[in-house]
Amino acid sequence: MDFFLFVEGPLLWIAFLTFFIGSILRAALFLSVSRKRDKIIYQYFSWKYVLATLGRWLLPLNKDVTKNPIFTILGYMFHICLIVVPIWFSGHISLWEESRFEWYWTPIPDGLADWMTLIFMAIALFFLLRRIISADIRLLSTFSDYLLIVVVALPFITGYFLTHGTVDNIGFLGDNIQVIHMLSGELMLILIPFTKLSHFVLFFFSRGATAIEFGRRGYSV
Amino acid sequence: MSQRADAKNIEQVNSKEIKEIEPKEIMGFLKSKMSARFKMWLNICASCGLCADTCHYYLSSGKDPQMIPAHKVRFLKEILKKKGKVDRDFLQKVYHTVYHECNMCRRCTMYCPFGIDIALMISLLRSLLLSQAIVPEGLLTTVKNYNEFGNQMAISKEDWVDTVEWCEEETADELVGLKIPIDKKGAKILYTVNAREPKFYPQDIMEVAKIFHVAGEDYTLPSEDGWDGTNLAMFCGDAKTARLMVENTFKRAEELEVQQVAVTECGHAYRALRFEAPAWLGYTPRQEVVHSVELFHDYIRDGRIKLKDKIKEPTTVQDPCNVVRNGGLAEKNRRLAEFLSEDFRPMKYQGNYNYCCGGGGGALPMGGEMKKYRLASGKIKAEQIRETGAKIVFVPCHNCIDQIRDLSKEYDLGIKAIHFKEAITEHMEIPEEMIPKEDED
Repeated sequence: MDFFLFVEGPLLWIAFLTFFIGSILRAALFLSVSRKRDKIIYQYFSWKYVLATLGRWLLPLNKDVTKNPIFTILGYMFHICLIVVPIWFSGHISLWEESRFEWYWTPIPDGLADWMTLIFMAIALFFLLRRIISADIRLLSTFSDYLLIVVVALPFITGYFLTHGTVDNIGFLGDNIQVIHMLSGELMLILIPFTKLSHFVLFFFSRGATAIEFGRRGYSV
Repeated sequence: MSQRADAKNIEQVNSKEIKEIEPKEIMGFLKSKMSARFKMWLNICASCGLCADTCHYYLSSGKDPQMIPAHKVRFLKEILKKKGKVDRDFLQKVYHTVYHECNMCRRCTMYCPFGIDIALMISLLRSLLLSQAIVPEGLLTTVKNYNEFGNQMAISKEDWVDTVEWCEEETADELVGLKIPIDKKGAKILYTVNAREPKFYPQDIMEVAKIFHVAGEDYTLPSEDGWDGTNLAMFCGDAKTARLMVENTFKRAEELEVQQVAVTECGHAYRALRFEAPAWLGYTPRQEVVHSVELFHDYIRDGRIKLKDKIKEPTTVQDPCNVVRNGGLAEKNRRLAEFLSEDFRPMKYQGNYNYCCGGGGGALPMGGEMKKYRLASGKIKAEQIRETGAKIVFVPCHNCIDQIRDLSKEYDLGIKAIHFKEAITEHMEIPEEMIPKEDED
């Protein structure tokens, strides 16, 4: 099979299935182990505190916004772009439309997708530099901390090149930018369940567990 | 199983036997303790560094990166990665970090976007050290005393009862009809003290007796083990002794058929009895556990205690980690201070987000070994207090009060740190019938 067809077909399936099944297993593993080892969560479980904490931290309504406003706001923007662009970019939606599923949903304007991509790349670069320059963050950082920033930034960089023809005249890159873009996205999807990118699902459990721990003391965190 | 292991380890430490580090034992221990939360937290920490400037050790050390909370728990990851193959030097490093550089105050958790509970992981590391017979001398002494005498200060039952009776005699002159009931069956409240009170601060017992008398409270003290509410065993991960202590108290509560267990102005005793006891005991005791701050607040709010006047000098109030952040009494603590003050000045971050004083998590009872670290890390609290301009600091915790008194000397704050009891007894209205008649002399 042609490599392009492989990346576009079976590998895409593998990536999506790894991402979905892996994320579900991550959640299932937490739930099954915590039932035995973290009984406190279930003993004092309260939707009130769980929902309050998720609202406070999914929206910029928490203490970090006032403590580290710049970093926090950049963090929110980074995550919004990371989720919105891949799902609502018109080019991606038309692929879904052409696929066997024939799914369609309203895309965001291409100009907005462009801006969000640029903003995302700028913030990713800032995070990477901050990790290298700040002695504090450097000490905390492991290899995967650097690597994962690159991994999530790559689909955006290659996507930008692809839609703008930036590297079309650069030999190998120009010829293969579409397959490189797809590969980078697939790499990210596959890595999510196995790395700290799994926080995309575990965030909810971690915040929930801590909200219950303090909720049983009568206040919401 | 693990409780028996704890007992064995305490014996080992007692006998001063230095044993070999057994990687298998370390891994076995960690496997038995690694909860789903610990695994998740080690996995997802994004090393974002937002916890750094939430920590008083980080801030007071001139922002030393080594003091970043997320960095302090790296040992847990390392030990797991090395499959427990670590040496005593490595464990000494762990010891230095988890005992000398963290009060387990949980302030960092408040600011972690994932809500990662660093203090819980530090606590796990402390109990891992105990499993290898590494434990601070100061805490070990209290653990021995708990097991031998039922209280941290090695006070005999006779001395305890004598002290309470003496407190009653001393105070009876001041308030007509004052009694300190011992073992009164069917009383509403079983009041537990910090063993430092009969040993060094009997005025604490006298003051609370006056408050209870004026408020018309139906309470009792137990003569048997269980009267010391403190639980320093929990700071070195000794679950067996921790359980023994709460068990004693609730046993007395059952025997005396009380409805509530009240705790003196001590933070960790309250946390242990109210929030940790169910996990240690395996069941939730029937008696409600209340802290003095709550009792005193409600007495004044409900008019059971009336104040004749308020403190005129500027005041502020400390939020002990185990009363406020880990005890849920932020509002009542602050309001009680406001009730008693004409010029109350809140600290920056007053309430659940306040800084630790540097004396928590066993730092005070660790004694001399810890002194320089706690005085250094207390700099943040000292600055907070200075900023308010307060002259009186209410401190509803035995560890915090010693620390803040030390900080006042070290940083020349010129403040007076007092328990709420002292202020209440001084400023409460004594009902006519309780005022002794002079001519009876």
